[in-house]
Amino acid sequence: MISLAGRDILHSWGKFVFTGIGLGLLIGVTLTMAGVYRGMVDDAQAMLDNSGADLWVVQRNTLGPYAEPSSINDDVDRSIRAMPGVARAANVTYLTMQIDHAGRDVRVMMVGIEAASPGEPGQPPHLIAGRQIVRAHYEAVADMKTGFDLGDVVHVRRNRYVIVGLTSRMVSSGGDPMLFIPLKDAQQAQFLKDSDAIVRQRARTAQNPALNPPGNPGMIDAVTASQTSNPYVNVVLVQIKEGFSPDQVAEPIRRWQRLTVYTRAEMEEILVDKLIATSARQISMFLVILSIVSAAIVAFIIYTLTMGKIREIAVLKLIGTRNRTISLMILQQALGLGLIGFVVGKIAATFWAPIFPKYVLLLSGDSLRGFVAVMVICAIASLLAIRAALRIDPAEAIGG
Amino acid sequence: MANGIRIENLVKTYGEGDTAVHALRGVDMHVAPGEVVGLIGPSGSGKSTLLKCLGAVIEPTSGRMTIGDQTIYDNAWKIPDLRALRRDRIGFIFQSPYLIPFLDVTDNVALLPMLAGVTNVEARARAVELLTALDVAHRAKAMPSQLSGGEQQRVAIARALVSRPPVILADEPTAPLDGERALAVVKILNDMAARYQTAIIIVTHDEKIIPTFKRLYHIRDGRTHEEGGGTETTS
Repeated sequence: MISLAGRDILHSWGKFVFTGIGLGLLIGVTLTMAGVYRGMVDDAQAMLDNSGADLWVVQRNTLGPYAEPSSINDDVDRSIRAMPGVARAANVTYLTMQIDHAGRDVRVMMVGIEAASPGEPGQPPHLIAGRQIVRAHYEAVADMKTGFDLGDVVHVRRNRYVIVGLTSRMVSSGGDPMLFIPLKDAQQAQFLKDSDAIVRQRARTAQNPALNPPGNPGMIDAVTASQTSNPYVNVVLVQIKEGFSPDQVAEPIRRWQRLTVYTRAEMEEILVDKLIATSARQISMFLVILSIVSAAIVAFIIYTLTMGKIREIAVLKLIGTRNRTISLMILQQALGLGLIGFVVGKIAATFWAPIFPKYVLLLSGDSLRGFVAVMVICAIASLLAIRAALRIDPAEAIGG
Repeated sequence: MANGIRIENLVKTYGEGDTAVHALRGVDMHVAPGEVVGLIGPSGSGKSTLLKCLGAVIEPTSGRMTIGDQTIYDNAWKIPDLRALRRDRIGFIFQSPYLIPFLDVTDNVALLPMLAGVTNVEARARAVELLTALDVAHRAKAMPSQLSGGEQQRVAIARALVSRPPVILADEPTAPLDGERALAVVKILNDMAARYQTAIIIVTHDEKIIPTFKRLYHIRDGRTHEEGGGTETTS
């Protein structure tokens, strides 16, 4: 038996191809939306992977350092290092900010890391150019997505940093590229004020008799020093020794240090299920709407094509064609349209995904699920046309 | 299949009571195998209704219809699968050829046996045989839109004949054709009827072809009047 649907598609291929291209672009957008979500999850996982940490020690009862602010003293890492099962512990700060560079704004997540010893948690695990930070101040390693080059000088607050290394796939859960700078610089940058603000604060402090008692002239200097320094970090990243489980190491830190400790699984849950959950729901809504729009388009097109063949269908029915054969023809055309649309959509999404500012991850599994969804949507969308075709009276082929 | 098609006292009434429309009021008709008869009548006389009843597209109200030796209707359908009946035992030729635009000439003709389960090779062989007999074999690979009106009608005739049905119903098959081509189509139908022993009923308004019929049925107000061989009978 010949394929009536296949012959019809071949006969009016232009109509099908151009309709398929239109539908394909819509499917491409849908696949890209799914890719944006996957990219967000992957960014979050990459951030956790690249931190090199097994445990995240943060301010008690917070979801820090990524989902909520967290502030702990920068000497806590020393006592954590002494805890059983801890191989390494390093202070890290995170601060998202806008940097003006070469006339353009670059949004980065600035990461303060301990530069002294290589391989500390928090440092970028791999470089694609240059070297790691070795000096205590004014050097930086940037993710490729910042657009910075080796040797570039970037301004952060009042300081200038030389880009000494470039890394990749080091982004925040929001997709902002990371800029690594020495910890002390980062701590200072978090609270560093401009000169006028410092002068005004000093004046206010000096006028406060509680902070500047007449009988104790040295106290004002101590208070001013404490106001302009920042002994806090956002998190202590911990690597555990072999033979210890994360929970085994985390529990004593929680108990003795009175801090909150997250394992890798817990931190992933915070990032994926909490931090980007709203975005995921937003994207899901788009996917649902796009699916409905796609279904409506396919239904309209197939219905219009079918109604354009009323006489032919009436003749087919009159000469004895089974309803099943006619239904199958319409269904196959809808599926054919879906197939063309999916191929176009997949190709389009593959080509335009790298242009997106955020990471778009197109997974084969998602494509497969997308393909099945497109086929199911097309099959459902063809029902209207099938119903209309089955209602065509074969008598319409006979005049009068 | 000695009897062709026979219709006895066929009645078709649309609606009921005061609004009932009596489209056929007891039609009698007989067409022998190999015979071509004409069916003429003014608009609204019941031609199309009769054709639809004969084609098992609508159900008569009462009467009897026989194709060959088999009664297909006797106050009710006697055949459970009317679709198969139309596919296997009745050929249709329409005023416009209504060829399937996305199938080439061969497949337009071969489609019917394919639908009946005949292999593609066998169905196409049958199609080519008929196309050759109808002198359009040279257009076998053409699409319908590439054919002239006469060629399209000959392909439609081939499609009607391909299942070797005992009956062919032709609804004004010469309407779109000029005189010469119309007569040619009627000649083809006569030849095919003789060759395949098919009973053919041609509904027509075409004055050019009416004289070619040996027997002619007039239909008026739902009743047929037969002419032919110098006799006229009224049913």
